[in-house]
Amino acid sequence: MLKPTKMTRVMIAGTRDLMEPAISTLHRLNVLHISDYSEENEDFKIGRPLKNASKLSEYLLSLRAISNQLGVKEKEPSLKQSSAELPSRIDEKISNLQKEVSSRFDELRSIEFNIKEKEDLVSSIKPFFGLPLPLDDYVGYETLKVFTGYIDADIEPGISKITEKYELITGEHEKRKIFALFVPVAFADDIQKLLQEERSYVEFKVPDLKGNPPVLLGELTKEIAILKEKHASIKAELDNIRKEYSDFIMAADEYLSMETQKAEAPLRFATSPNAFIIDGWVPSRKYDEIESELQKSTGGLAYLTRLEEEVKEEEIPIELENPAPAKPFELLINTFATPKYREIDPASLVFITFPLFYAIMLGDVGYGILIAGIAAVIKNKFKSGGLNALAVILFLSAVLSVLLGFIYGEFFGFPLFNAVTNGEMEQGLLGIAGPVIAGIHIPVHRFESVQSLLLITLLIGIVHIFLGLVLGFRNITIEHGLKHAIYEKGSWMMILIGGVAAIAKLMPALMSKLPVQSHDPVFIGGVGLAVIGIILLIKGEGFISIMEIPTLLSNVLSYARILAIGLSSAGIALAVNTLSMKLFIRPEGILLGKGIGLALVGVLILLIGHLINLLLGILGPGLHSLRLQYVEFFTKFYEGGGKKYVPFGYNRKYTEE
Amino acid sequence: MVDPTQAGMVAVGAGLAVGLAGIGAGLGEQAIGAAAVGAMAEDEKFFGKGLLMTVIPESIVIFGLVVALILLFVF
Repeated sequence: MLKPTKMTRVMIAGTRDLMEPAISTLHRLNVLHISDYSEENEDFKIGRPLKNASKLSEYLLSLRAISNQLGVKEKEPSLKQSSAELPSRIDEKISNLQKEVSSRFDELRSIEFNIKEKEDLVSSIKPFFGLPLPLDDYVGYETLKVFTGYIDADIEPGISKITEKYELITGEHEKRKIFALFVPVAFADDIQKLLQEERSYVEFKVPDLKGNPPVLLGELTKEIAILKEKHASIKAELDNIRKEYSDFIMAADEYLSMETQKAEAPLRFATSPNAFIIDGWVPSRKYDEIESELQKSTGGLAYLTRLEEEVKEEEIPIELENPAPAKPFELLINTFATPKYREIDPASLVFITFPLFYAIMLGDVGYGILIAGIAAVIKNKFKSGGLNALAVILFLSAVLSVLLGFIYGEFFGFPLFNAVTNGEMEQGLLGIAGPVIAGIHIPVHRFESVQSLLLITLLIGIVHIFLGLVLGFRNITIEHGLKHAIYEKGSWMMILIGGVAAIAKLMPALMSKLPVQSHDPVFIGGVGLAVIGIILLIKGEGFISIMEIPTLLSNVLSYARILAIGLSSAGIALAVNTLSMKLFIRPEGILLGKGIGLALVGVLILLIGHLINLLLGILGPGLHSLRLQYVEFFTKFYEGGGKKYVPFGYNRKYTEE
Repeated sequence: MVDPTQAGMVAVGAGLAVGLAGIGAGLGEQAIGAAAVGAMAEDEKFFGKGLLMTVIPESIVIFGLVVALILLFVF
């Protein structure tokens, strides 16, 4: 919690013949983060892949091609395959599969091509239905030129001006006029020009077929049907293959990926003709495990040691370490930046503040329950990865929103409890007055208590920012020493606390136009503290840092958004409710008082309005709560720039040992 | 307390404070946002920094909002 996992740098050395067993042990343990070797010298070169590497990647390539052709999708494995049995039949199985799949796949493609061709023919034959001639009458003349196409205008007068020797056949197809014109070749150019001047002219080509169009169409349709049947049967065969082999394909893919990873591992080692060296990092608590396992597999011949020398902080891989509930929040941290080794990992703090800010903003029992439900569904659908983490975060935030909604007394914007607003008694959904908990009268109506809520949000801001500065103080102390920390962060703490104290005394007086009580010890102390802070700041960071002071004010005020987003979300809900209620309950409290039609419109407004507000209720509070973490909180202490811990190994899903 | 005509002016003032500040922040944010999306397209790791840069002008709206809230609820 708060700090990344402690890491130990290890060096593993041994003779070349131990390399394979060492690799497979390390791969199985899945704990060593290998630092890639890059500084080649005369004695040590970057290693070469093991001899089976190229064969393995070849298999993997053909397997992935098959999997693509079959459209195998990743899914939860029904049965884990034993990786001891896999290799014995893998090459045979893959080549058989390839034969079966690729021949069928090629056939499928050629049938699809054929169908497409025939369908094109069908569509080019269809216009000729409107003309009485068989298709072979349009082609094969030496002295005649034939024009066929759509045309709306009457072209006969134009043609007869050019020549008297012509034969014009007209007809109709799908309500458009079509024609076939036979003229001697000598006039072809003039006729062509004439036709092109006519806007409605669309030429169509005579298909290369013989016979009556309707008869031809019948034949083609029959052929297409046969092809389609064949297509479907091959597709079904491929489907069967997919069903039968998809478990094998996923397992083999995993097995081959793992083996390739192992075979290519020497590319990250330093090797000499007779020896190899692996440089890397393990979580300190795993060191003993890696040592004993490695000795077991190499018969005690591999040499393993801790390296204690100082290294640059950036080179130490970072594994975040947080209790299970705060684990999903690491996603938010890593999205911003991976912390450096000696920095604070704020995931467990964000675990508290993110849902809290979200809930204060959303604060509605109805929306909370709905969003929690959606999050639970997503969480069950995606068992791991970023979406799962997001769903958990959303779920926690939504559950807290339900609680806050109870305090605000809001259910989809409707009042939950009876309460007096604007001097009027408002009937709540529960029909009872709110309870009094710890001296607070529930509900705390958001629109009625803007002033106090504004004050609370700003207080939250001050505490949050102060916490950030405290963490920053700690980070700087560790990295550069106490003196720097006082200049850099201590000064800001003083300005923040002093400023807040002074303003807290000053504001009420200014507001009510009373004389400022400049003798008040709190006021004097606050101003004094802030001045000392500013002096320290200038001493530490130079004169230009004065420019930064207003940022602190804007940081604190920025927390007013917690109230603002909440008000807007509650406002939209209220508007939607008022609008729809007017349509289907009132006037005079009679249900459907304005007729069924308007009531339906009311229901529609209610549904769409709340749907939009629900979506806004996920996006708005989520993004703004995140922003408060990133911009106001993290900038006070968090630099990031660490390298992620990626252990050498594989998380098996489809296979087991 | 203010008389009714003044109350109207206060409401108008509050609206202007939020509205104009919003327009200003929007103008400021558009270029930063575009650049941030561009940077993210190249390297997803820029998301955090991009978001941080993009929302900097937003504090102007918050100032406007605070002014509006003070106008509406404090005076």
